[in-house]
Amino acid sequence: MTYLEQRRHELRKRRIQMIDGSLTINSQTVDAGASARVFADAYWGFASTPDTDAASLGRIADAALRNAGAMARFGPRTMPALAPGIGRGEHVYRGQPALGQTECVQRLSALGAWSRRTYPELKSVRLLIGDEHHTKRVSTSAGSDVLSSIQRALCYVTFIAEGADGAPVELTQSLSTKGSLADLDFSVETLGPALAELYRHLQAKRVAVPARGGQHRVVLGPELAGMLAHEAMGHPCEADLVLGGAVTRDLVGRRVASELVTMIDYAHTCGGSETLIPVYADDEGTPAQDAVLIDRGILTSFMSSRETAARLGIAATGSARAYAPDDEPLVRMRNTAILPGTHKLQAMIDEVDDGYLLLKTGNGQADSTTEFMFGITLAYEIRKGRVGAAIRDTTLSGSAIKVLQSVDAVSDDMYWNCSGYCGKKQPMVVSMGGPALRVRAHLGGQ
Amino acid sequence: MSETSGPLGVAAARALALMSAAGFDQARVSVGEARVDELSIAHNEPSLLRTTETRQVTLVGVVGARMASTEVADTSEAALRECIGALFDDAKAAPEDPAHTVSSGQRAVIVQGPQRPDFDLLAAKAVELLEFRLRETPRMMIDEGEVKHTLRRWHTLTSAGSDIACSVGCYSIGAFGTAREGGRSSSFNYAGGSADDLDERHAAEWFGIGEMLCDTVRQIETSPFAGKFVGDVVLTPPAVATLLGWLLEQLADTALISASSVYRERVGEAIASPLFALHSRFDAPGVAPLSADAFLAPPLEVVRAGRLLTLTPSRYGANRTGLPHVPVASAGWDIPAGQTPLAQLTQDVTRGAIVGRLSMGRPATNGDFSGVIKNSFAVEGGVAGQALSETMIAGNMAQMLHDIVAVSRERIDSGAQRLPWMRIGGLHFS
Repeated sequence: MTYLEQRRHELRKRRIQMIDGSLTINSQTVDAGASARVFADAYWGFASTPDTDAASLGRIADAALRNAGAMARFGPRTMPALAPGIGRGEHVYRGQPALGQTECVQRLSALGAWSRRTYPELKSVRLLIGDEHHTKRVSTSAGSDVLSSIQRALCYVTFIAEGADGAPVELTQSLSTKGSLADLDFSVETLGPALAELYRHLQAKRVAVPARGGQHRVVLGPELAGMLAHEAMGHPCEADLVLGGAVTRDLVGRRVASELVTMIDYAHTCGGSETLIPVYADDEGTPAQDAVLIDRGILTSFMSSRETAARLGIAATGSARAYAPDDEPLVRMRNTAILPGTHKLQAMIDEVDDGYLLLKTGNGQADSTTEFMFGITLAYEIRKGRVGAAIRDTTLSGSAIKVLQSVDAVSDDMYWNCSGYCGKKQPMVVSMGGPALRVRAHLGGQ
Repeated sequence: MSETSGPLGVAAARALALMSAAGFDQARVSVGEARVDELSIAHNEPSLLRTTETRQVTLVGVVGARMASTEVADTSEAALRECIGALFDDAKAAPEDPAHTVSSGQRAVIVQGPQRPDFDLLAAKAVELLEFRLRETPRMMIDEGEVKHTLRRWHTLTSAGSDIACSVGCYSIGAFGTAREGGRSSSFNYAGGSADDLDERHAAEWFGIGEMLCDTVRQIETSPFAGKFVGDVVLTPPAVATLLGWLLEQLADTALISASSVYRERVGEAIASPLFALHSRFDAPGVAPLSADAFLAPPLEVVRAGRLLTLTPSRYGANRTGLPHVPVASAGWDIPAGQTPLAQLTQDVTRGAIVGRLSMGRPATNGDFSGVIKNSFAVEGGVAGQALSETMIAGNMAQMLHDIVAVSRERIDSGAQRLPWMRIGGLHFS
């Protein structure tokens, strides 16, 4: 039976970058279009157009069907029927009325001027604010009809100073929220204390020492646990990567982490509150369900699309999402988190005789082997329970299974952010969260 | 015949007239469309045929030395009027900055690469790739592969008389995946690139794809290096691309304007080993010799025998910093081949690794980095041995450029980049 999925999709973005008072980016963009995807005789056909009128939708549905039919040249193919699921309804986030560009620029200018006035020793102050708004109407031949809206806003403040050796040293503070820039408070009054901390850390980093390369006992601050969740076990639990040979395929029901670790990819609600990137139905029109990836240390399930769920014989979790109007849906994370525990962060530090406290990260990467890495842009030595010298930028890595099995403390707080993109053929807006964790992992260094 | 005579040119002229009428002092308009025909492979099987059409109008306006930009997909008169009105308000909201100017006097018609897709060719190359995998590397799983044709057409006009029409087509082929046996997997690996005529050679012979598939199968069994030491690396072209990416970022606007470039005052000085050079190849497959701000980008020599010849600020970056303006295209770089046979690079390593890929955080502003070496092999006494896992190297990007001790005769040409292998000393392994 032929399956047809159609999507009208609009992606609005705003980016404003200011470097030392000069506006180097002042941009608003709208990417819009419609797509059709057909599954026929076990092959997929996809087509998209920038036009969203009914005639164009009909034209691309025909094109997608022709494309699926053209794949017959590769011979007959067998595939289980796509996993079922019918999503219906409207899920639109209604935040504050959008800010005008004038107000955004004024707030950014005020923040930049305050930073340069308050910290005149800085070589440079780089500010970036942005928001993006995804609106999608998905309908399928299976009966789904869903209107979804996802919005997120972000602010990055980067301070650049001269290191003790004369080379530039920089550090970035990020802030993000659900909604538009009107929902993100990036005023001097609110950000001032965080920027004072940023400056203090930057001063420490100016005289940072190299990390000692090798295995160490490290405390990951709450900002990092979400990245660990996303990179270390999130990607290897995406069903398309599982089908591709990720080692997680043979580990369901087995211990992959300390019993202190529970990890969930939330669809839309966590602890009674809507998540930062709420997905009620995905871009295949499948109602979205939470995916409990690790339950008290035991690997339990994967995130999936209709096809990957059918091939693995599991239920579709509503995790198939497309970034741009001309993208087809892929299995993507939504709101991935390690759940909080009962320890206090300070006590977790006090108990470390020789190790590191890792506080900020930049980017990360996953692997089919679960050997992950992420960059560390702010960290300190811990000696006999006391926080010591800052260390230079480094990289944390390890086998996710070994690292998660080494978790011996999980803090009772929780930090969420949605400021970055996940990259996997297409970019994607995701959120990640977690408490502080204490683990053994590999730091790059001398 | 005027370059504005095609439909995209007519649309661009119309948008430029609207911007002028709206009161902009300077304006740049680009109207473009793209079509991609892609045959996708998923999990070792042809899976999807996609045809995508996109359209984009990019508008940059300057009024009273205040700048704003926008991109929209709707080219109707009503949509453009609304968009230009909003753009005018956005520009008026910006702080005054006389560094903002649009390109002037740039005129060109660029037609490059295959202008129409050949679906039979796409299908034939997909079959070649899959047959090679099945025959030579059956334990390899191509998670994602694609063979595609891309055609991008656009027309750019500015209020200062620039008039540039482009139509750039190319084919691309790539494969991404892992090798697996029993419960063990290799790391992900990837090879791919763009070319004007995919029919010139077998799919596995493009861009090192065949070698990547074979190497990945040898990476199912891995072990870490024992202990810490200082040793050499032989960077493969994908790892050299990481080093190149850092260098190019250091020479460009953001680093120059925010005073975070370590090369801001180094033009004319030795910044790398005499074995290292860097040229442009802005006419590479899929690349147009044009900068993002609509300046023609003539051939460029950036580093000669280790000496930095130029920085690469845009027109805006040059105006902001007082540096000479040096237009560069969005891609297209060439590190010349060296004199050392590839096999010799490894034979000269006492202890170290052949590095397939660097997985790491963004290097620090001063060039410090540490990263996991993926798809890599240990080298002891000049002999390549086991594949590595859980092994990191640390060093400094700027120092690595100085520490290049050999450059291979062989290179991989991926279209946008043509890069050799390099042996570099002094990396910290842990």
